Amino acid sequence: MHFLAVGFLSAVTVDKPTGVLGALATGAEDFIKVFNKGGSTLLSLMGGILPTLVVLLTAVNALVRIIGPERIENLGKAAARPGLQWYPVRYIILPFVSVFVLTNPMAYTMGRFLPERFKPAFYDSAVSFVHPILGIFPHANPGELFVYVGIATGIQQLGLGLGDLAVRYLLVGLVVIFIRGIVTERITARMMTKSEKGE
Amino acid sequence: MGFASTVTKVGRSVGGVVGILYQAGRDTVDTVIRNVIPFMAFISFIIGLILTTGIGDWIAKGIKGSASSLPGLLLISVVCAIPLLSPLLGPGAVIAQIVGTLLGVEIGKGNIPAQYSLPALFAINPQVGCDFIPVGLALGEAEPATVEIGVPAVLFSRMVTGPLSVVIAYVASFGLYTAAK
Repeated sequence: MHFLAVGFLSAVTVDKPTGVLGALATGAEDFIKVFNKGGSTLLSLMGGILPTLVVLLTAVNALVRIIGPERIENLGKAAARPGLQWYPVRYIILPFVSVFVLTNPMAYTMGRFLPERFKPAFYDSAVSFVHPILGIFPHANPGELFVYVGIATGIQQLGLGLGDLAVRYLLVGLVVIFIRGIVTERITARMMTKSEKGE
Repeated sequence: MGFASTVTKVGRSVGGVVGILYQAGRDTVDTVIRNVIPFMAFISFIIGLILTTGIGDWIAKGIKGSASSLPGLLLISVVCAIPLLSPLLGPGAVIAQIVGTLLGVEIGKGNIPAQYSLPALFAINPQVGCDFIPVGLALGEAEPATVEIGVPAVLFSRMVTGPLSVVIAYVASFGLYTAAK
């Protein structure tokens, strides 16, 4: 793997090359070092998280196929109801279930069951959940895995467990999407009345 | 109800389940090859570049101050939530993924305390989906008038909820990885 390091394997010691050629040689070694390091990183990623990811994705994909995406439509209709008690359904349960079952980007199609005034808020809520879900259910957004995995790799290097971080990321994510839904709904309502007055 | 029809029934349902599992595996491998592995290759190159050249130390100095304190993380989230910047930072979450990886390298080296991983996950990501609002709303069959209001509504909302999410995550990170050092 270390192409330019092969020379050092033979026990003969030589002086470090000097002059123009020496500089070139050092440059070449530094150059290939970047890619050797990158290569070993790639190998550890492919050997580390990839096999687990493939098996997990297969299992969840099968589960979603067995459940059938059309079953969650009733939930969408329930979330459309007005009233305070439907807020958690609209901005916690519905985004969670849509992102889990339909994954990014098809999750946003669930907005079609909601009245126009809730749609931007639901989109905001659902799209904000496509990363916090990754710690436990990476099938929901595998193309953007590294938002979470990038930071999680650092935690792993310290020899710490990832479970705590993954669970907290998910839970805080649920709180955040709930708040985002409510805030965006209020802003949308205010802008809608303003534009109606303007007309 | 003869023996033959029972056999047919069992055979069919087993076949159906196997078919679903096989298709699920096919979808998975498809996604992994098209979306996951290319990004891993790209990220590996960046990590190699950071770890072997001096870039790493340079970034570490810049990031260390801002990513290992609450005000610094808030600053990052405010910048990412600026309505003119957030749609530019959004596409494919590429920026968030690169910054996440950079922070991960620094956490691994011990330059950023491990408990900051949770608020950092939110600080680098207030722009999530800001590039995709019209498409996302269209997928939800929203009318053009709703899209016209929805785009600025979401962008303005992020200016409030972006930094707020960092504060919530910061509070929620108490007790995370603190005993371990």
